[in-house]
Amino acid sequence: MGYGDVQMIDADGIRNDGRKAGDVRPISIELGVVPVADGSCRMRWGTNEVIAAIYGPMEAHPRKIQRQDRAVLDVRYNMAPFSTSDRIRPGFNRRSREISKVTAEALESVVMLELYPRSKIRVEIEIICAEAGTRCVGLTAASVALAHAGIPMTDLVVSVASGKINDVVVCDLNKAEDNYGEADLPMGILPNSGELVFLQMDGDLSPEEFEEAWDYNMDAAMTIHEYCVEALKNGRYPQ
Amino acid sequence: MSIPLVPQLLRSHLKELADNDQRLDNRSQFEGRDVEIEVGILGNAEGSARVRMGDTIVLAGVKFQTMTPYPDRPNEGGLMCMAEVRPVSGRQHEAGPPSAESIELSRVVDRGIRESGCIDTSDLCIIPGEKAWQVILDLFAVSDDGNLFDAFALAGITALRNATIPQEKFELGEDRPLIVSKTPIMCSYQRVGGRFIFDANGREELGGDERIHITLGEDNHVHSLQKGLKGAFTAAEFTELMEEARKKGQELRNMINTLEGVN
Repeated sequence: MGYGDVQMIDADGIRNDGRKAGDVRPISIELGVVPVADGSCRMRWGTNEVIAAIYGPMEAHPRKIQRQDRAVLDVRYNMAPFSTSDRIRPGFNRRSREISKVTAEALESVVMLELYPRSKIRVEIEIICAEAGTRCVGLTAASVALAHAGIPMTDLVVSVASGKINDVVVCDLNKAEDNYGEADLPMGILPNSGELVFLQMDGDLSPEEFEEAWDYNMDAAMTIHEYCVEALKNGRYPQ
Repeated sequence: MSIPLVPQLLRSHLKELADNDQRLDNRSQFEGRDVEIEVGILGNAEGSARVRMGDTIVLAGVKFQTMTPYPDRPNEGGLMCMAEVRPVSGRQHEAGPPSAESIELSRVVDRGIRESGCIDTSDLCIIPGEKAWQVILDLFAVSDDGNLFDAFALAGITALRNATIPQEKFELGEDRPLIVSKTPIMCSYQRVGGRFIFDANGREELGGDERIHITLGEDNHVHSLQKGLKGAFTAAEFTELMEEARKKGQELRNMINTLEGVN
């Protein structure tokens, strides 16, 4: 089976998990799930489950990684061996390295690193259960965990992906849609300014479809931002 | 978590407490932290468990793969048990290849489960000499506030008892529960302030000396022992720990037996 060969949306525009095109999967957020960390959160998003933990600011060592004018962010994205349908061999691979890198660069754009010269802030993102869109869940969870750790930031980062299935643009792809869909556009959005700090895309989108996917992401980010703020106020979302 | 105290200061404080038969968190010498176990919590694993003891939290997930049986055991499958202590679980855990400590941890937990014979490897054979099931038990530390050994062992055996062999997914018939005939339980003791205590927390580990890990099965059969870190203990001390482990082991085994979702 290849792209477009699997029917994932019916004539009424209902997707295989019952959502309409613009709907986001159910999201829940819980803070403090790693009690020994300085800040942490668990984000469930559909059947994705991601834990993000923050350690620091702490002394950066070895010394050569120190920056005299700012802190360094040490970001690790990792999938647990039991997180997917086929077991993943433990350890870094090319995919997790790339995701760690772009996630770090997204977070560096909002964390006020200049307040902590010569120090390091560790951001650990662990994918416990993967459905699709784990990089988006990981980035969003990391920004919530940083806020929970009390690290000064100019904004949260909310990340979400839209894409195309059977020639229909839809928001927040699930596993089947990600596997058999025709396009995937993950974005990391700053809800207060509308700026982007993370952007990837693969597949095939016409200019009109691209615009539609872009708008879906922008709208979804505003909603998810409200969930994050609620969680930070109350310790969890939903209550 | 606050930054760990300088271990020397911590050690003298722990000594003072021990002399008065006290502990940092007001537990008695052989009192464990409250244990919470949840099963079937990982959507993509064929068996799973989460164990919480105080601020120590671990996950265990069971996955199945097919393997070619070893030439000398053509009618048997295999069991692999791997523990990972990733940097998410604590400030002191650095990224990089597994440390000697985490390799020891992984191997001691593996031995307790494997040597109990709780998994009948001949039940895992699919086609003699050609194909068999490999059971992979992955242990994952979420938060390390001491005694990962017991938490991993407890989560591990619970996840195995929650496991289903995914025969449908591999087109080998209907799914069936993994048969686990025994429930080995590990109890770990560490010398802190001069005496052995049960279930050391993170700060007690930091200021402690040698530790002893005892894995017991039903009928109090011994399945694995390990002494770790610098220090010497007497036969009388060991006898007392064995006695304690028998009591505590049965208590924890009963706890697993009454859980919903274990085979």
